[in-house]
Amino acid sequence: MGWLYYVWLGILAVFQGPELLTVFGLPIPMTLAMVAAGFLLGIAVGSTPGLAGPMAMAIALPILISVFGFSPDALLPVFGFLIGIMKGATLGGAVPAILFNTPGTPDAYMTTLDGYPMTQNGQAKKALRVAHFSSASGDTFSDIVLIVCAPFLAVLVERYLDLPEKTALLILSLAFIASVIGGSVGKGLISLGLGLIAAYVGTGEDFYPRLSLGTETLAQGFPIAAVVLGVLIVGEVFKSLEDLWTEARYRRTPQETPQSGDQSLHWADMRRLFPYVARSAVIGTMIGALPGIGSTLAATLGYTTGRARHAKSGASPRFGKGAAEGIAATEAANSSVSGANLIPVLSLGIPGNAAAVFLILAADTIGGFNPGPSVFRFTADTVNPELVIAFGLFTCMMIANLLNWTIGGAFMRSMGFMSRIPKQLLLPVVLLLTLSSIYVQETRMEAIWFTVGFGVLGYIMRRLGISPLPFVIAFILGGKLEETGRQAFAATGGDAFFLLNSPVAALFVALSAIVILLSLRKPKEHRS
Amino acid sequence: MRFDRANLALGLGCVALALLVALIWIPMDSTTGLIEKVRRRMTIGDALAPTLAAGFLLLGGMLLALAERPKTVRRLSLKNLAFLLMLIVILAVAFTLMRWLGPVLAGTLTEGGYRPLRDTVPWKYLGFLVGGTAMVAGLTALAERRMTWRGVLIGLAAALALIAVYDLPFDDLLLPPNGDV
Amino acid sequence: MKSIFKAALAALGLSAMAGGGLAADWTPPGPIKLMIAFRAGGGADTQARLIAEDLEAKTGWKFIPEQVTGKGGMNLAMAIKDEPNDGSVIGMVVTETLGYNMKVANAGVTPEDYTAITTTAGFQMGIVSTADKGWDSFDDMIAASKEAPLRFGVMSPKLADIAYLLGEAQNAQFNIVQVRGGKAVLNGVNAGDMDVGFMAGIQSKGVAAGDLVNLASALSEPLKQTPDAPTLADLGVPFDADGYFLMIGPGGMPTEARDALAAAIGEVITTDGMKSNGMINKAFGGAAVIAGDDAQALVEGSFAAAGQLLEAASE
Repeated sequence: MGWLYYVWLGILAVFQGPELLTVFGLPIPMTLAMVAAGFLLGIAVGSTPGLAGPMAMAIALPILISVFGFSPDALLPVFGFLIGIMKGATLGGAVPAILFNTPGTPDAYMTTLDGYPMTQNGQAKKALRVAHFSSASGDTFSDIVLIVCAPFLAVLVERYLDLPEKTALLILSLAFIASVIGGSVGKGLISLGLGLIAAYVGTGEDFYPRLSLGTETLAQGFPIAAVVLGVLIVGEVFKSLEDLWTEARYRRTPQETPQSGDQSLHWADMRRLFPYVARSAVIGTMIGALPGIGSTLAATLGYTTGRARHAKSGASPRFGKGAAEGIAATEAANSSVSGANLIPVLSLGIPGNAAAVFLILAADTIGGFNPGPSVFRFTADTVNPELVIAFGLFTCMMIANLLNWTIGGAFMRSMGFMSRIPKQLLLPVVLLLTLSSIYVQETRMEAIWFTVGFGVLGYIMRRLGISPLPFVIAFILGGKLEETGRQAFAATGGDAFFLLNSPVAALFVALSAIVILLSLRKPKEHRS
Repeated sequence: MRFDRANLALGLGCVALALLVALIWIPMDSTTGLIEKVRRRMTIGDALAPTLAAGFLLLGGMLLALAERPKTVRRLSLKNLAFLLMLIVILAVAFTLMRWLGPVLAGTLTEGGYRPLRDTVPWKYLGFLVGGTAMVAGLTALAERRMTWRGVLIGLAAALALIAVYDLPFDDLLLPPNGDV
Repeated sequence: MKSIFKAALAALGLSAMAGGGLAADWTPPGPIKLMIAFRAGGGADTQARLIAEDLEAKTGWKFIPEQVTGKGGMNLAMAIKDEPNDGSVIGMVVTETLGYNMKVANAGVTPEDYTAITTTAGFQMGIVSTADKGWDSFDDMIAASKEAPLRFGVMSPKLADIAYLLGEAQNAQFNIVQVRGGKAVLNGVNAGDMDVGFMAGIQSKGVAAGDLVNLASALSEPLKQTPDAPTLADLGVPFDADGYFLMIGPGGMPTEARDALAAAIGEVITTDGMKSNGMINKAFGGAAVIAGDDAQALVEGSFAAAGQLLEAASE
């Protein structure tokens, strides 16, 4: 069975899967409907300051799992919905950035720089169209790179990397993530170490659950949902609540500027914007393919590169004064991160950002699909169901892109009102929703307390400028690191130097040290 | 560059924590060591991976304390801690209502207690509705620095909406506290 | 000990039928929590969930499935111990959980602290390699192991002990690699990370397609799929990896509740057309029902027998 056959099976899995309903004798596949629903929800969520894609993914997951159950049939509808949210939120983040000078998602900050001036100049609709065009282009480009690269990378990994090399590769990934996220290697390593320690509570090979303090409560370890949602979502809610508490005043109702003039995006505009979009899409895709570097950095790099070029050309208006090129450069860059970010997830099983973490969480909860190189085993006689799911996932992404190009723009332009939802009401509701969804999965109060505990940790980390993402990724990869290490040690007959005896493994270990040392040379403290 | 005390304190704190974990917690609380001999072969014990993790924490703490000199520094202020305390008190009250309101009422009002009632209306919603409303209302009041009816109503609406989302359509999902009783 | 197992096996069909009428006499006090000791999405988890689904459809009882994984089922055993024993909490583990694992864990519990309800299916445990290796028989594999050590994948400490004893008996060099679950062994063998491994039924599709080979049976009897492969006893190992999926409850469950549950479960998994029946036939070579006192005797026997294997493997 060739790869083309698998591509076909993946497409069939989406279109011939369970049906939602039949309209005029035409069946609507469930997965298709879920991609569309997720995409529209994602745009709405992205348009709401204070909400972000990962939050919506986190809250949706338990509901989705209750609806679709734990069978492999559940994978594609759930993935479709999550991917829809991921893509929609990226697009939606530009809406409040352009209309009200408030980024809907952190990576849309750079969009405010030219988007809001365009609104003030009465060009809001046009600015939104530019954002949509660039975001959809970047996103589509990134997905194509993912679909082309991930299978090859996975096959290479599976063919050439043995257990010791796989262990070394995990170490390298963790070292890289700790070094590049946030501005400080020290803080990255602290986040990483704490995440690993949390992962090792209650687990292990021996029958006594280690580090459980002899209690039944800790014996099963921390539930993965409690840790991930606690640190990423609850911590963020706590921080935002405190910001509101400190401000202790209502946000001003956003001012509306009268809009005038030609609002449409012409061919000439697109031709003019195309070089900016293309350059930023390449930058975003490259950054996305490396685990741990988020879309915020991609947006910053895309914007500054675009600004340099724009300044050279001398065209007006300049960046920062309402240049459509500024929006294009930013939105193409931050949107092209999401697809490429799945390259390490699918080919190595290593999540690089929060959205990828939730996809792994979904796969882990439902079962039957283990993201990693074993997915891309092109079997000869029997069908490899995981590979079908992978190509089904790619199909979902392309469907979402199609939706993005067709209905995304209009829906996005109608979402301006989402910015008016008061945060001080929204955030407590989000918290109740998150905690309830944890309880529904774990059915014990302890899980809620764990979540709040990790929320407090996430809050403290944010206040101290420690990025919570290495913590979460280390927590997810911790078990895998230990298992692979144990297996490599056992498989080499108890060779204590298994990490150094193979040239490839030794190279990975050396690179880990180099990454940490290099990042140490330029300490910088980011905005978080 | 400015010598920075907040980072030094954080770094040294992490170093201390790492040593505590590696030298006291791990050896006391895991049954196999770093390397074990099983069936005449060496295998990796349960203590190795956590010790390695503590090593990362130690390295991070040392780098932070000794090598890094950032321009801006983040620290936890007393105000942060005060906020955190208020937050936790509100959550603790809400969770207590959620967990115990139903069982306590059922214990005083009925013969059999809460357990046989955990799948009947209105008992099964009681704790979640009251606790959930209290949580949203409390946190909104915290953020706005005053208690409002709006917060209470939103909380009630949110709790009702969650019941509609989780409990009505799905027989096998449990809202708090019905999985604990 | 062996005779108890045999007697239990003989009682297989009988107990399922005898219990048929009892199901109506007992109804659970509210929804039943079903703890599952296996990772979501695997064959064992699917089996447990399908049984619950079938029971809901057939009896109208309500089930709430919940994952309590880890430590070879010991996490579930510790969690279920103090739950109400009125039949409202049950759990699915393997016989090894209350046998070898409980013995080694030394956590202060014995099978007497639990109520064995019924087994559902047995393992078709084979020693499996890929066909690409070019080994046609177990002897070919042993010959290969004399040239360079082979990596032997196992998914539990008990199997690690057996693999070790097999290596001793055959004078072969094995590097025993323990992973989590049969799926991980299958992936490892397929990816070339391991040369050979134990698989408890997950290999059947691959063996049928000719991608995988059952080199030996790890059971006390030949494999259904490859009856010609030698058993462990043929290979000089006086132990076997016989085992079953097992429904348990907290200790002291009223006989009425236990038998009603066992009868209902036995009925759905042996009735044609039920989802769990179809799944068990496909993945585990058919249902194997050992219920009530026989099941209790089975796990207490394997708990007692675990000491011998432990002793033999640590010599």
